Amino acid sequence: MATRALLAVVTASPPRMIQIKASTFSSSLKFQRHITTIGRCFSSDTNPSVLQPPDVSRLAETARISLTPSEIEECGAKIRQVIDWFGQLQQVDVSSVEPAIRAEMEGGNLREDAPETFENRESIRASIPRFDEVYLKVPKVLNKE
Amino acid sequence: MPSTAASRILEHYRPPFDATAVKKIKEMGGIVVGKTNMDEFGMGSTTEASAFQVTANPWDLTRVPGGSSGGSAAAVAARQCMVSLGSDTGGSVRQPASFCGVVGLKPTYGRVSRFGLMAYASSLDVIGCFGSTVADAGMLLHAVSGYDRFDSTSSKQDVPEFDTQFLSMDSFESKPLKGVRVGLIRETLEEGVDSGVRSATQEAASHLEALGCVVTEVSLPSFSLGLPAYYVIASSESSSNLSRYDGVRYGNQVMADELNKLYECSRGQGFGGEVKMRILMGTYALSAGYYDAYYKRAQQVRTLIRKDFKAALDHNDILISPAAPSAAYKIGEKKDDPLAMYAGDIMTVNVNLAGLPAIVLPCGLVEGGPSGLPVGLQMIGAAFDEEKLLKVGHIFEQTLKGSGFVPPTLPNVA
Repeated sequence: MATRALLAVVTASPPRMIQIKASTFSSSLKFQRHITTIGRCFSSDTNPSVLQPPDVSRLAETARISLTPSEIEECGAKIRQVIDWFGQLQQVDVSSVEPAIRAEMEGGNLREDAPETFENRESIRASIPRFDEVYLKVPKVLNKE
Repeated sequence: MPSTAASRILEHYRPPFDATAVKKIKEMGGIVVGKTNMDEFGMGSTTEASAFQVTANPWDLTRVPGGSSGGSAAAVAARQCMVSLGSDTGGSVRQPASFCGVVGLKPTYGRVSRFGLMAYASSLDVIGCFGSTVADAGMLLHAVSGYDRFDSTSSKQDVPEFDTQFLSMDSFESKPLKGVRVGLIRETLEEGVDSGVRSATQEAASHLEALGCVVTEVSLPSFSLGLPAYYVIASSESSSNLSRYDGVRYGNQVMADELNKLYECSRGQGFGGEVKMRILMGTYALSAGYYDAYYKRAQQVRTLIRKDFKAALDHNDILISPAAPSAAYKIGEKKDDPLAMYAGDIMTVNVNLAGLPAIVLPCGLVEGGPSGLPVGLQMIGAAFDEEKLLKVGHIFEQTLKGSGFVPPTLPNVA
């Protein structure tokens, strides 16, 4: 099983920036990470704003997923662990490297934007949980503001 | 036929159309026997994240079949069907093939239409093929390949005759793979890989040499970055792709007095833990102010990985590596430790990031289970070069001494 060594230095004043040192694959299965505080931890081409650790409740609201309090705790711990691990990408020198949206792009394989009637509309209707004539029924929308 | 993606949110869903790959199979007279189990929405490496049941590995019923397409691999291993389809986003066809001792074929991104494949990570997903032999997997690939106007990422490249090139062993020359340049990826044999897997891979390399290949070691310097880059990209894209499961137009709906509550409850109750986790990680990585640090960076790492593969494949016909750092785990072994679970994908994710084709075929057994546990050799090819992978794979398989890879749980199967 993986073992992890974790050092956290807490400063008095927020915001706290953390840097994760990447380990090579051979030790990454043991997931030893050394966490230290530094003033600035991003390479020059990223926004020098603070990366706050994930606020799971707020993320759940954004993603429209309800979580029970125990889920927030359990899920939260795992998410923070994984996001910390993502931090090793900050170490990589990506100056003047183009981002790749996907592997190969043949480009322009778009079909004509002409509507076609789907022949099995009944089957689509059958899947709709609440349906009334031509409408999908949903509860009212409350304006939060 | 019901299609649930192994999720409660689609528990009773019946799709109104067939995926292009399935349509092609039916048009050619293929008989669709049924649907198989998987990790929910493709998120997992053991099939334990299915909302419905856990699938057992036919080689040892206390172990996992791998994932996420574990059910499809196990079904072929157990000879419940001749061939099966799965999807491979980060190794989900190749790793279960290795764990179950069957052939798993991941085509080049764009080779097979994704129309009708429930999207997990759109820049990485491909439909893959399982078979008990390379020839069977190749025939299935041929049936499902080809340009599709309903998938704008599907390629117009010609589909070679994958299904007719499988010569019988009698017609092999003494060195049937003479001159084939094989690169063994150095970073895949380092510490952290089971010794049994390392020796099986080295024996496979020797077997290829005996067949006439020239095997050298190659290095892919960006190799270890693939795993975090993959998980950033996959979680991010999945957070977008799974937003369609809102309980309004299909799937299980949890009624509420307000629309946002309906979304939250339908999704909160319909999605399993791993799915929720990945959606939330993706939501974080794509948030304003974080996009550059995570998603864009991961895309840049993808470029580095592509370049490394291209450089290696300029000097080699194929690259080889183990398919996974170990053989099948016990059920429950990795369930609570996400990073340990993700670590098992190290051999496979880079291939998805680069969009290349790869095949996994059983090459040996390691200790464990009633009769040993299979391990697979992964062969990676240049883009759209499935033909070469199938040729090398077929010859390798046919000349490998041994009784073939049949699980001990099957009585008297040839």
